Amino acid sequence: MSIRDIFGSSFFKYLMQRLGQCVLVIFIGITITFIIPRLAPTNPVEQKINQMMTGPANIHPEAIQAFRESMNDLYGLKGTMWQQYVNFWGRFLRGDLGPSLFSYPHPVTDLIWRSMPWTIGLLLTTSILSWIIGNILGGLAGYYPEKRWTKWVELTANCMRPIPYYIFAFILLIIFCFLIPIFPTSGAYAPGVKEGWNLAFFASVLYHLFLPALSLVLTSIGAWLLGMRSLVSNIVSEDYVQYAEVGGVDKNTILNKYVMKNALLPQITGLGMSLGGIFSGALITEVVFGIPGIGNLSYRAITNFDYSLIMGVSIFSIVGVSVSVLVVDLLYPLFDPRVRLN
Amino acid sequence: MKRKLWLAVCTLVVFGTLAASAEIDPNKEIMPGVKRGDTIIVEDPSPAIINPDSFNVWTVWAGGNGGVSNGLQQLGMDTLWYIDPDSGLKHGTEKDNTWHNSLASERPIYNKDFTKMTAKLKKGIYWSDGVEFTAADVKYTVETLAQNPNALFGSAFKIQVKSVETPDNYTVVFNLTEPNSRFHRNFTVRWNACWIMPKHVVEKALKTPTDFMAYNFNPPVSIGSYVLKDYDKHGTWTLWQRRDDWQRTTIADFGKPAPKFAMYMSDIPNDKKVIEQTNHDLDMIHEVTPEGMISLAKNKWETNWFQGFPYGHPDPTLLAILPNNAKEPFNNPDVRWALTLSLDMTKLAMASYKGAVTLSPMQYPPTGTSRKYYFDPMQAWLKDFTLDTGKYGKIKPYDTTVAQKIATSARAQLGDAVPKDATKITDMLGQGWWKYDPKAASSLLEKNGFTQKDGKWYKPNGEQFKISLLNWGPDRPTLQRLATMVAELWTEFGIETTAIWSQDNGTNYNLGQYDVNMGWNIETWGGNPDLSYFTDSMHSKYYTPIGQFHNGRNQIRYKSAELDKIIDQINVTDFNDTAANAKLGIEFLKLTTKDMPEIPLMSYNVFSSQDNTYWTGYPNFGNPYTDPVTNWANGRTIFTQLKQMLPPK
Repeated sequence: MSIRDIFGSSFFKYLMQRLGQCVLVIFIGITITFIIPRLAPTNPVEQKINQMMTGPANIHPEAIQAFRESMNDLYGLKGTMWQQYVNFWGRFLRGDLGPSLFSYPHPVTDLIWRSMPWTIGLLLTTSILSWIIGNILGGLAGYYPEKRWTKWVELTANCMRPIPYYIFAFILLIIFCFLIPIFPTSGAYAPGVKEGWNLAFFASVLYHLFLPALSLVLTSIGAWLLGMRSLVSNIVSEDYVQYAEVGGVDKNTILNKYVMKNALLPQITGLGMSLGGIFSGALITEVVFGIPGIGNLSYRAITNFDYSLIMGVSIFSIVGVSVSVLVVDLLYPLFDPRVRLN
Repeated sequence: MKRKLWLAVCTLVVFGTLAASAEIDPNKEIMPGVKRGDTIIVEDPSPAIINPDSFNVWTVWAGGNGGVSNGLQQLGMDTLWYIDPDSGLKHGTEKDNTWHNSLASERPIYNKDFTKMTAKLKKGIYWSDGVEFTAADVKYTVETLAQNPNALFGSAFKIQVKSVETPDNYTVVFNLTEPNSRFHRNFTVRWNACWIMPKHVVEKALKTPTDFMAYNFNPPVSIGSYVLKDYDKHGTWTLWQRRDDWQRTTIADFGKPAPKFAMYMSDIPNDKKVIEQTNHDLDMIHEVTPEGMISLAKNKWETNWFQGFPYGHPDPTLLAILPNNAKEPFNNPDVRWALTLSLDMTKLAMASYKGAVTLSPMQYPPTGTSRKYYFDPMQAWLKDFTLDTGKYGKIKPYDTTVAQKIATSARAQLGDAVPKDATKITDMLGQGWWKYDPKAASSLLEKNGFTQKDGKWYKPNGEQFKISLLNWGPDRPTLQRLATMVAELWTEFGIETTAIWSQDNGTNYNLGQYDVNMGWNIETWGGNPDLSYFTDSMHSKYYTPIGQFHNGRNQIRYKSAELDKIIDQINVTDFNDTAANAKLGIEFLKLTTKDMPEIPLMSYNVFSSQDNTYWTGYPNFGNPYTDPVTNWANGRTIFTQLKQMLPPK
């Protein structure tokens, strides 16, 4: 296949179209993220000054004024919004998101990279686990609706689904940290354990993250289960499924090869979206269980009005969701021949 | 049979687990080599430290957000003097227990016109790396900070200090740019102060003095009685170990700190504090909600400031309603008094702290030694104080029965936990506050041209009188409840009031773009009657018009020539002349009571709770040797008074 063929192929056009959309979404998203905090009436420099004044730092009034000016400079808040915007893109394209305003001069990217593995580790595991369990149970519930156990599973899922994950987190916390205190209330691993590739660290992390993971898995299984069940219920009434059943094809083969496979397509899109959402963290779960992830970092950035950090976390989230959608779009032809054909 | 066996196994597992969980084990290792029985676990009320690698306590970004009261300022730092917020501990030959010559060997020495301050230093104090502390460290600290005006105390030194001399290793002379009788305040701890840095460490680490702001000071070389052992890279705990040579630190003036290890835990939400302490995994709680306190206080192993109701330690911080004195109609003392008399303190106390308050009718927090210097001497004057309300006539608004009313209301909810003895109630809840007198309040407003129609008040220009009340929001739930009740009472009185919590409250307050704020701007030493700690801020020379950011002073934008005179007089009065300072304090209180620039409410009561399972001997109302809150640097003396209850084998 010549280069000309490649550039002229429909897949290349499809790829470029999706790539263009992705870049545009990222650009618009970041621009909005830049503008919104600056339109808010809160001034991070005044926040910092207020924080200083609540402690007896004995800062002379003349010095406060000097401090105010130099902080505006340090925080990149000098000049018009347009100038700040141009400067921001200049820095961004060099991979520099600036220093955190409340942890000055610590770079925002460092803080994010430090938090990211915890969030990715927790949410990637729980998202995939709940997706797999939810879809299998949903598929079975949709295909065998008359069985007693599938009815129970469905009922349980219906009851669990409306419970917000943070309420569930609190319930688990009360049961397993207070009434039967067998799990730690917070932290990602025990004091004294050194972070690194060692068994003690992994065992400690597993022990500490068990409850938060459980709260996330149990509350998200329901949505996948009910979605899959509904998709399967529609598919089982399709002609080709009924034809296969009449033709005596093995039930398991029908379920696995004809029903689940077709029903999985929208679920894969959903998984892609939810994996992209990982980059914004599970804020309340992380706060409740004291996990040092992106959610916790976002919470502190927002409460301190740390412009740079808010932007940094948002940018990671925007890029994460956009790239995930792009990847799903690009992988879709592999799962769905209709897309490949078009 | 199988079923029964299964049930028995399940029961055993559940009860076994419960039994294991309730275990109190001094030999349990909280980390390798650190036994629970040797360790005191203390709450650091800060959020998780964003930049835990930084121990540079001198920058405003120290640790990012937090990272100062994680034991660093309590156990690792020291400075020239300390003033205890409560009664202090007996030490050496010092007559005043509240004053501690820490790194200094005597009190500050000023020349006649207060342009020079000399500090004599103790000999034989050593840094944790074995180097002796000398005058060179103090000089280096001041000079380095003065070159970094964005550092804490940097700007103060840049503006106030002309030069620093060290005639010998144990004497420092500060030549000041202008007369300043309170220069020593920079080195006198009330929560914190300017900590002294080890010259031999910092100088070596910095290429230029201005590199200081990005310097991490890690590991921190300590001059306190503990040294850093380990810390969480995610900023949730910091572990300190007692120095073997603790006798070579200033804490030796009070005795040996009992715990071998001290672990500070940060970022603990309220519910978890209760859980952790109930599980005996948190010895000292800095502050918990009133509900959490009531729940913890039911346990035999728990102690708090009052050993029962009203539980909380009154911090030397005055909770107050802060009107914008530069804005109509709040610039009128009659209006401020009308707002005061339309508040029912019993309702405020019950709504905010469930009655567990310590009231103040004056612009001074009712804590520490305040009763001796101010509250007792002022009682007769307060009872006699007359207010001319206009049509309603002259009234004596001071009400000495408020504390009893609050106690009665609290008893309805908390039963016998609330004492009945009148003296006890006065000691605990305060001597009095202002009467709830809506008629007098109405008369004061009418006297100033306000009119009432359909139950609502209108200003003299015909506009409806409405108030926006800024408040802290959910970060400080007691204050938020207080603000909500204030808004309710004023609205009921006819002034439509909205309690606002928004992220831009701070910015609006700094700009003067607000009606009334709820918070504090009066903080005192606690153990010393000197008012300079906060009065200087109220001088009209710091007045900024609305729309301009204030410069950290006179936030309520108040102007009074009479008050300026008192402040100027305080500034030329020797700090050590307690009688003269207390006399000026009385003048200040009388003036501000008449003028009511802000409406005083109560002290900021901190519900600190202690578990006595592993350690006992915490300060309390009966033995008030210091403030029980955990983030004050003054609290360092607590460890010297503790007794180990369960020594590990």
